[in-house]
Amino acid sequence: MNKENINPDPGCAGGFAEASDARLGAQLRESRVSPALPPRFQEGVWRRIEEAAAPVKVAGGITWLDALVTLVLRPRLAMATAAVLMVAGALLGVREGNQMAHQDAQARYLAVVAPNSLR
Amino acid sequence: MNRSLVILLGALVLGVALFGGSYFAGQRACRMTRSADDLSWLRDEFHLGDAEMARIQKLHEGYLPKCAEMCAKIAAKKSELETALGGTTNVNPVAQQKLAELAALRAQCQSQMLQHFIEVSQTMPSEQGRRYLAEMQRLTLGFHEQTESSMSESAGHEHHH
Repeated sequence: MNKENINPDPGCAGGFAEASDARLGAQLRESRVSPALPPRFQEGVWRRIEEAAAPVKVAGGITWLDALVTLVLRPRLAMATAAVLMVAGALLGVREGNQMAHQDAQARYLAVVAPNSLR
Repeated sequence: MNRSLVILLGALVLGVALFGGSYFAGQRACRMTRSADDLSWLRDEFHLGDAEMARIQKLHEGYLPKCAEMCAKIAAKKSELETALGGTTNVNPVAQQKLAELAALRAQCQSQMLQHFIEVSQTMPSEQGRRYLAEMQRLTLGFHEQTESSMSESAGHEHHH
């Protein structure tokens, strides 16, 4: 879009208009009220930046527990642990069951061939 | 309580439950699948083959009626002894006689039992047979030896005092 030139004689009155704009700008800057910064403003800003950048600390100092929970709740690790526990439990149970069955069988044989009244 | 701690404890409980459940399932399955035969212990413990087991089965079946007969005689003699002892505060001559008869019956029964163990041991390979005989003597006669040994030890202690 073309700007409409409102000055009828740009060649003659151009310098006057520019000077008038500069003076108006200076007056506007002077009239603007800029409040004074609070004391130690800059220091406060840097402190906030540092706090935002620092890692979050949980109250009580138990971040290791959170880390452990995060580790434990990983699906692959959780599944692997569950599988290992089940296999280990079943193997131990079968081993124990074999021993118990062996003892049961021995007791059954003894009960048949050597009744308690003789022992 | 802290959320992480709750999750961790839950995982721990779940792990224990998984391990315990698998353990009991394995144990139960194993006990259920094992043979309930009276002679299965012999087969497993002494690694016997079918031919040896067949011979032992025959001996076993021949021995059981004799054993039952002796048990019935011992039970009857015990009953007679109880009657003889009933209401008395001393061991009368009848009770003494019944005790002697009971002891004789038990000795006869034990002798018969040992004879059976010897016959069974002879159907096994020599090493297994020796081990079987030693094991059966330990299991059937060892009980009395332990009792006598413990009683003689306690009597010895008393004498020293």
